[in-house]
Amino acid sequence: MTKWYRENAPITADKLADELMRLKRGSVTRRHFLGVTGLGLAAAVFARQPGLFNSAAFAGDLGTQMSIATWPNYHDPATFEAFTAATGVAVEVNVFGSNEEMLAKLQAGGTGWDLFVPTNYTISTYVKLGLIDELDMSKLPNYDASTENPRFTNEGIVDGKTYAVPKNWGTTGIAVNSSKIKAPVTSWKEFFDVAMTEADGRAMVHDYQLTTIGNALVSLGYSFNSVKPDELAKAEELLIKVKPHLYAINSDYQPSMRATDAWMTMCWTNDGAQLNRDMPEIQFVLGKDGGEIWSDFYAIPKSAANKAAGYALLNYLMTPENAVKEHIANGAPTTDSRVLKLLPPEVTSNKIVYPDEAALTPLEFGAAVTLTDPGRAELMARFKSA
Amino acid sequence: MTSASTNDIEFRSVAKRYGSVTAVSDINLAVPKGAFVALLGPSGCGKTTCLRMIGGFEQPSEGAVYIGGQPMNGVPAYRRPVNMVFQQYALFPHLDVERNVAYGLKQMRPRIATAEITRRAQEALEMVRLGGFGKRRIHEMSGGQQQRVALARAIVNKPKVLLLDEPLAALDKKLRTAMQIELQSLQRELGITFVLVTHDQEEALSMSDLVCVMSTGRIVQIGPPQEIYDRPASLFVADFVGKTNRIPATVEAGANSLRLANGVGLAKPANANGTVGTAMVALRPEAISLVRDGAATLQGTVTHRIFLGSSVEYSVEVDGLGDFLVTADRRSLNESDLAEPGERVGLSFDPNALHVFPA
Amino acid sequence: MQAAIKKRNLVTAALVAPAAAWLTVFLVLPFIAMLVFAFGERAPEGGYQAAFTFAQFANLPTRAAAFWNTLVLAPVGALLCLLVAYPVAYYLAVRANPRYRLILVSLVVVPFWTSLLVRTYAWMYILGSRGIPNLLAMIGIEDVRMLNTPGAVLLGIVYGYLPLMIMPIYVSLEKLDRRLLEASADLGARPVSTFFGVTLPLSLPGVMTGVALVTILLLGEYLIPQLLGGGKVFFIGNALVDLFLQSRNWPFGSAIAVTLVAVVVVVLMVAMRIAWKVAGTRQVDLV
Repeated sequence: MTKWYRENAPITADKLADELMRLKRGSVTRRHFLGVTGLGLAAAVFARQPGLFNSAAFAGDLGTQMSIATWPNYHDPATFEAFTAATGVAVEVNVFGSNEEMLAKLQAGGTGWDLFVPTNYTISTYVKLGLIDELDMSKLPNYDASTENPRFTNEGIVDGKTYAVPKNWGTTGIAVNSSKIKAPVTSWKEFFDVAMTEADGRAMVHDYQLTTIGNALVSLGYSFNSVKPDELAKAEELLIKVKPHLYAINSDYQPSMRATDAWMTMCWTNDGAQLNRDMPEIQFVLGKDGGEIWSDFYAIPKSAANKAAGYALLNYLMTPENAVKEHIANGAPTTDSRVLKLLPPEVTSNKIVYPDEAALTPLEFGAAVTLTDPGRAELMARFKSA
Repeated sequence: MTSASTNDIEFRSVAKRYGSVTAVSDINLAVPKGAFVALLGPSGCGKTTCLRMIGGFEQPSEGAVYIGGQPMNGVPAYRRPVNMVFQQYALFPHLDVERNVAYGLKQMRPRIATAEITRRAQEALEMVRLGGFGKRRIHEMSGGQQQRVALARAIVNKPKVLLLDEPLAALDKKLRTAMQIELQSLQRELGITFVLVTHDQEEALSMSDLVCVMSTGRIVQIGPPQEIYDRPASLFVADFVGKTNRIPATVEAGANSLRLANGVGLAKPANANGTVGTAMVALRPEAISLVRDGAATLQGTVTHRIFLGSSVEYSVEVDGLGDFLVTADRRSLNESDLAEPGERVGLSFDPNALHVFPA
Repeated sequence: MQAAIKKRNLVTAALVAPAAAWLTVFLVLPFIAMLVFAFGERAPEGGYQAAFTFAQFANLPTRAAAFWNTLVLAPVGALLCLLVAYPVAYYLAVRANPRYRLILVSLVVVPFWTSLLVRTYAWMYILGSRGIPNLLAMIGIEDVRMLNTPGAVLLGIVYGYLPLMIMPIYVSLEKLDRRLLEASADLGARPVSTFFGVTLPLSLPGVMTGVALVTILLLGEYLIPQLLGGGKVFFIGNALVDLFLQSRNWPFGSAIAVTLVAVVVVVLMVAMRIAWKVAGTRQVDLV
């Protein structure tokens, strides 16, 4: 199919779905939604097929094609177009609904990804299963470890070796519609109490074992990452007690919050910032009793077919001038002080995106064990099927 | 209403239109109680429309149909004391024979006891000689058997009138003849009025005691079969009922004579119907005798001979008049009397056998 | 002669080969893989590792609620669908002006041209606070919640599967011999009796086809409960998604899938048997 035809063709089903998602953009971190619908498997090829005598010094080494696995609405599409223009490598973008799904794909093999975006708590498992390579830092001259926040870079280092470098970080807190709920919600304990009283039928939890079980554990005074059977049993008891009062178990909470169908939800940083920007009555708070802090990373699969291009794109994304556009597009906080300096003050002064250090103190990174613990997976299944 | 006691069915000035198309009009018909009446005509003449108006599947656009003296306008099919044997029978394929027959009984209000329903259904099946077939599926029955199931189903409710829509059309000739006799005896046994729709003049003549000939939405003649055959009211009836030779002719006003197209003059027959001027004369083939007599009224040459067993049919090229059909009764002939194709023959007939109609 | 037969066999083989290959590659082999997995173990980090154990099947009761929800939802949803679909099919086949029938039938099918996902999303907005509850608020009925209720799930199911139910019933009603209805009326049956005595029994094969089709598809449904039920009601489909994509317990997921296939086969056989029994008498219509 020639380019001419493509551009002049009437709207296709792919295009329609694309438009639908675009329409909803600004209201999304719908990892779960995409996972559930299978839409996450839809791939989009950004940028044109490169021409025969295309530009770029690397062209010989990099090939013409590469593939990245990431989250929906997590990048500025212009970034990939600019990369293609500079290198002649077309970037195929695959979007996913969950870390678990990414892991399942890599375990099954044959993904063809040259770069992907796992969350911190999965990295040690990828290393253990031999699914990712130690990064060759010499190929990433634009990455500067000294300007990175070590709190986050440490999550990408296993046994002293760097397997992944951070993309951005964030937290999992509580979004509350203050015009509907008058009771104070400042902790996960209050979240679950209010969910059963003032917000009866109006509260949402994630369809995601890590945060839903983790925050229930936190509300009971246990660790976010606990896999102790007695503590999990208590958390299960709480979740099953709360379930009839919930509006939904769904990680795609923005539409419901915006429509005021739901009044309160577990919420990731960038969603919280977007909701608050558009509807100031929706406030984003971090649990003073704890919760999750996370960071998403870039890593290169061992099975990558075009590692050279994977490194080239990663190096490109680590360039502060390029990275800053990504941060403005998706709204999550940066781990790199060089990028922080380039961000406009209205972004860096937003307490939702860059909260005070004190608010972050009780938060925990997700632990690798939660990813593979069958007890937590089964607990989640029992909660959902109760 | 005096007619109530003597007529089961009456059409009074009935017309039926579908949009701008008139299916039937000016229908006036009285069917006496216990009669076997045939509505006869070519397809599209409106006979089935009339039957469906009796059954209640169509409502007249004008006039009214009376059943047992009661006007039926607006009365739905399920409230009419008539039952119908449908063309191709319309048996319920999901019910066995007995349930098909019992269907009407189950609709009765007040309800009839199940045992009574079974007894009456059996009785109706016996009547059509299908006593042991109650548990059979419909598709296991032959065409003739299905026909009788349809009959049993229609009579089980003891209707005032039984309507039959081309009931024998789907049967082969032998079965058809047998069923004709069976239907007649059934009608006598039940003593109810039968209204038969058919396009087969032989069937109409042989079974009914009143024939109603229809053409293009109108009744053209009503009468007993013999009258219809012997004294057709129009050239159409003469043509449609039985076979007829048509002879163009002129009736001279005043003069008491008839001149055929070939110039032969005849005495004006009794059946001239008051016709004057250009006319068409109808002559039944069996009214003609072939004679070896040069003085006979008409002369011609035999072109074909068809041997039919009990009779012989000749095609005769009559001088100046064209092809004639002549039927000779076998008994009146010896083997040696048969005329041969190519032979010159004379045609003799009684002038009173001629029917004269305006052309 | 011999050559001719040989040639004909070759032609037959050539015609059958693509379908056979397709079925083998995309149906038989995956099913065999699923059976093998079902008797295996979950690897510590997820996925499958070889073993021979019935543990996965022994674990099935932990998804009893999902099986129960599904096995109740599927027939109830199919029956609700039937209740809505039958009058529509009846109108289309029996009552509608034949001149407009084709247009009306295509109106039933047209929504199928849009993805069920998009149409279900539309329902999320209609039932959400900015939809009907917003209209109710205008007349003083505040804070009505319609989305994420069992009623919303049933509505979504009936809406989503309606065309699949209407079409087979429409087809069976359309070929219904109108004279049978006249015969019934002629025999004294009121319209209601005619419906239950003739129309309904003769459309049963279409009804059975529709019910079987919708029931089987509903057994694997997960999107509608997820989107319109808020994920609070857990069906087999949801259990499978979680097991394969979240907890990566392939053996247990396979065991559930195998069990579901077995259930579908049983449902199908029962439905076929009933339909066949009813349809057996319709042969007279076919010749």
